[in-house]
Amino acid sequence: MREKLLTQLARTHAEHPWRMCIIILIITVLFGLASMELKVTMRWSDLLPETDPRTVEYNRIIEEFTSASNIVVVVQGPTDKIKAFADALAPQLICIRDTSLNQQAAKSILDLEKKKRNRSKKNPDDVKTAGLNAEIASLKTQIDFPLIQRVDYKIPMDFLHRHGLMLMKAGDLEDNQAMFTDPNIHGFIRNMNDVLEKEYVGRKESLSTREKEDQAIGFLDGIESLIALLNVTVKGSVQDTAAIRSTVNHLMVGEPYFLSYDKQALIMIAVPNFTAMEVDRMVSGTDAVQHRVDETLKAFPGVRAGLTGMIPIGRDEMVYGMESANVTSIIAVIAILILLIIAFRMWIAPLFAILNLIIGILWATGLTALIVGSLNIMTQMMTVILLGLGIDFSIHLISGFTEQRSAGRDIRISLERTFLIYGKGIVTGALTTAFAFLALLISHSRGMKEMGLVTGLGLIAVLLATFIVLPNFLVFRERRLERKHIRHAERDITFRVLGRSAAWMGRRHWFILSVSVILTAFMVWEARQITFDQNYMNMEPRGLTSVMLQDTITDKFDLSMDYALVLAGSADESRTLAKAYRKLGSVAMTEDIGLYIPSAGEQAARRRYIRHIRERILDSRIQANLGLSDAETIEHEIRRLGWNIMEIQDMAFQNGQDRVDTKCVSLVGNPDDEQPRNPILALADTLAAGPVRYLNTLNQFNRAFAPVLSNQIRTMANTEAISLDMLPESILERYANRDSSKFLVSVYPSASIWTNLEFLKRFVHDLSGVNDRATGMPTIFAALIEIIGNDGRKALMLTITVVFLLLCLDFRHIGHAFMAMIPLIAGTVWMVGLMHLTGLQFTVINVMGLPMIIGIGIDDGVHIVHRWVFEGKRDLYTIFASTGKAILLTTLTTMLAFGSLFFAVWRGFASLGSALFLGVGACFVTTVLFLSGLLGVLSKKSDKNPIKDYHMK
Amino acid sequence: MNLKKPVLFVSLLSLACTARDLTGPQIIQKVNDLMNPESMWAAAKMVIQTTSGQERTFTYESWSGNHGEKNLIRYKEPARVRGQATLLLDYADNIWMYFPRTQRVRKLATHAKKQKMEGSDFSYEDMGAGNAFIDDFESVRLDDEELDGQRCFQIEMTRKKDSDISYSKMIMFVRQDNFVPVRIVYYDENHPDELLKTLTQSDIRDIQGIPTAMKITMQSESDKSETRMELLEVKYNPELDPVLFTERGLKQ
Repeated sequence: MREKLLTQLARTHAEHPWRMCIIILIITVLFGLASMELKVTMRWSDLLPETDPRTVEYNRIIEEFTSASNIVVVVQGPTDKIKAFADALAPQLICIRDTSLNQQAAKSILDLEKKKRNRSKKNPDDVKTAGLNAEIASLKTQIDFPLIQRVDYKIPMDFLHRHGLMLMKAGDLEDNQAMFTDPNIHGFIRNMNDVLEKEYVGRKESLSTREKEDQAIGFLDGIESLIALLNVTVKGSVQDTAAIRSTVNHLMVGEPYFLSYDKQALIMIAVPNFTAMEVDRMVSGTDAVQHRVDETLKAFPGVRAGLTGMIPIGRDEMVYGMESANVTSIIAVIAILILLIIAFRMWIAPLFAILNLIIGILWATGLTALIVGSLNIMTQMMTVILLGLGIDFSIHLISGFTEQRSAGRDIRISLERTFLIYGKGIVTGALTTAFAFLALLISHSRGMKEMGLVTGLGLIAVLLATFIVLPNFLVFRERRLERKHIRHAERDITFRVLGRSAAWMGRRHWFILSVSVILTAFMVWEARQITFDQNYMNMEPRGLTSVMLQDTITDKFDLSMDYALVLAGSADESRTLAKAYRKLGSVAMTEDIGLYIPSAGEQAARRRYIRHIRERILDSRIQANLGLSDAETIEHEIRRLGWNIMEIQDMAFQNGQDRVDTKCVSLVGNPDDEQPRNPILALADTLAAGPVRYLNTLNQFNRAFAPVLSNQIRTMANTEAISLDMLPESILERYANRDSSKFLVSVYPSASIWTNLEFLKRFVHDLSGVNDRATGMPTIFAALIEIIGNDGRKALMLTITVVFLLLCLDFRHIGHAFMAMIPLIAGTVWMVGLMHLTGLQFTVINVMGLPMIIGIGIDDGVHIVHRWVFEGKRDLYTIFASTGKAILLTTLTTMLAFGSLFFAVWRGFASLGSALFLGVGACFVTTVLFLSGLLGVLSKKSDKNPIKDYHMK
Repeated sequence: MNLKKPVLFVSLLSLACTARDLTGPQIIQKVNDLMNPESMWAAAKMVIQTTSGQERTFTYESWSGNHGEKNLIRYKEPARVRGQATLLLDYADNIWMYFPRTQRVRKLATHAKKQKMEGSDFSYEDMGAGNAFIDDFESVRLDDEELDGQRCFQIEMTRKKDSDISYSKMIMFVRQDNFVPVRIVYYDENHPDELLKTLTQSDIRDIQGIPTAMKITMQSESDKSETRMELLEVKYNPELDPVLFTERGLKQ
């Protein structure tokens, strides 16, 4: 049956090349068109099973919370300049209109309008017209699409002015209430000192170190602003209301801009009108925002700005991932072409082989688009894998055909014989590898399952191309040569060195086998030491600004972008969940709606203190004229404030709270310096030197300061209950979905989840102890590690079994199947051992290399054992000089293809490329070592002088 | 006739019988006696982890009086904390701190005793526990265990109803040969099944006839952090000036 089919195909090629050419063209155009629809997704969550609750929940959050898909502008430079830049950029971002999809939308609208008119003509009452109208209306919104909905880069000051005290914990209100009772400068600082000296050691309720540090830094920021204002005042500058208002804001509410701890970086969060699911907008939107940022930067020398966040990272990963795949494919094609030209000592056949391969890959891509629809992080490497494996088919076919033609046979006979002699081997080899890949379909993870499907079917597509496209090229070429009466020159393309070496090793089989076993044992020992790199950042593209800026945010803001997300059904549930998560040792802090809407009980408890503060501030009076004793009090209280902060600094150093310690340096100097610069004590000293001289200045200051502070406290001392409808949009959308039916809780880990696998597991385990709905990168990645690890193990066992069964069918001899498997198993062990020796670790991407190498590496053993049988189980020289050369060539082409992945921007690709590069090389070496030894032993049994053929030759 | 062997045998037998017969409270009483000598002086060093992940080493001297009721800790290194001191009175119910830079003494809030002491995994309460093992816990002896090749009593200590100590439960492993608690496992105040931290004492040396653990490690389960403390020098029952445990002593 197989022979008949192959003969018929060869005959059709030889007799009807133009007909075949048209068929090829049609198939190629169809698959080419289909391949244009292929999408690319570079999200890690897309590697998990589609029905995995973590993936479902993650996608739901992205869909429902516009704030989950954001564009973060990271601005760096001097504080004043970055604030001015942010003020200038924010309104410009809101005005951006995306016109990239205008043409497409306009065309669709025209089509729909036409469709509507036709319907109306046929049936004016057609109910489907309403649907068309809705579709048209929706498309119209896509024209001049406003990309950015809102830009958040300041805290919502108005809301905090009105409800600031209601957002303070009851315990804090109890401890700090004295601070809000006297708006005069001397009374205010005295009360502040009293509060500082009264409580001194934290709160009774459990707060994480991070929260304690943040609270302390916020408080110290306010004091720094006040001292700076007083210093400037004392030096004689008259302070305007804006400066005083800004200082009061700092004291009462905090820094309005989203500034880093060192105040040298600022983040702006642009909330788009689209989500990360809309791929086209993701690309055009990021580019438009980047353009506007670059334009604005021109007016702010000394300021740097870049984009990060889910959308820019998604865009960069996709664009650079595709670029990377294209670049590596081109490198692989060129390298393989050069290698083949050198090996065959001609250029036309290698060119045919490459052209055939490119067409085959195009078919494979079209097939993937039709069956799967998109490429993921893993399947994006399909082209390179198919390049490495698919070229082998062409090499064998061209070699056979050239050999037949050189023997003087005509085109049809040569093609028929080539198909029959080499075609069967090619089909068996290709199907073995394809089935090994298809075995990955049993995987639980979507990433590995799709990888198996795409590469398995892709390989079959390339195999079909090799039998449909390549012979067509060859026939046309041969006809041309015939017309020109050019005959094929005979060439010896065997590799004698390899043949001689194998024959030498065959004679010393016991020695060679012993060395092979010792080396394999050493590799087993090495392989056992390999570790797993769970840091997904190590697999992300290198050198990308969006990825690097994530590190900047982590460093400058101590804010990890990798936190867990949990959906709650109500604000109350959100608060309860956040509280439960905060109790976990593995959690640093949580963010939820409860930060802005305390529970009814909490609000009631706070109201009692707020009412008291309100009464006290209303009773207070602003001192119109300060006396000398008041000036002395100011000097004393400022000095006392200095001492308090020095003591806070000493305690922070002792407690290991580095950020608080550093913050205190700007207020009271560095104690390690010989003469610390202490602005607070310097101010006190200045005032002490001439209280009479500064009395007037202080009076003026108090007359401006006290009313502003008093008003601020009166406004903040608002006992009104906070409800959802009172929240500003920027807060509401961060924590609630569009119809406020779902609430988002963000849970931040207390340590790096990427440098400690045990901690990652613990964090995820802790999260699941509270609620099983937690998702986000930590949960998804922990699941990926577990699922892909299990899949890898299962797939490895299954591919070994499938390959072995196929070999048994092919050889119809269990012993021969075992013989072909030995170098493969040893090669796989060597691969892992070499990975450890070269400093590689397993990753969720390259762990897939294990089942893949089973499918790829088996070819070496199969070809050698087949040839050994063909040669009458003897003649190691011929086997390795001829077939050995072929497997060396296919090994080198495959290694070149995988080696090209070294140049991939995606480090995950490079990790797989490196693993397979070592694996393919290792399988060749183990094939030569083990099989020359084994065949040497077996040849000796069947022949007393196994190397006689070599001497004869 | 050699009489030594039977005498030794009888002594060992009596020790074994005594050890076997001891109840939980009796063992804890012996531990308490061992850990709370009349007075004590020590030079020590402590390594903590800062919030930016760095290790910071402090060296200090400490004095303990009245069987652990009063404690004074004075820092020597690094230079930034030299002279800083903490006074714990009434079994850490009253805590005072002295800051040489401002030359001021401050009292810490009462609830501070339950909080971490100076960035370490020890609380002030751990440092000045005094008779807490006896006063705040009910002790029950569990099956003996072997730890690092040493037979240990295993005592489960459950918080008494009227106690406000920070641990709901502790499991203490006490070496049978010298009554040194080589491991104490602390459980959360509100969740008796939740492991909070583990104290390990090692490098036990005989100092003035008293077995003394020179290395103490506290591992926090919740924070996944570790504080290492090492005694560099120890003196038991030195003559201590009562002024030492006053504001004046704190400032010295």
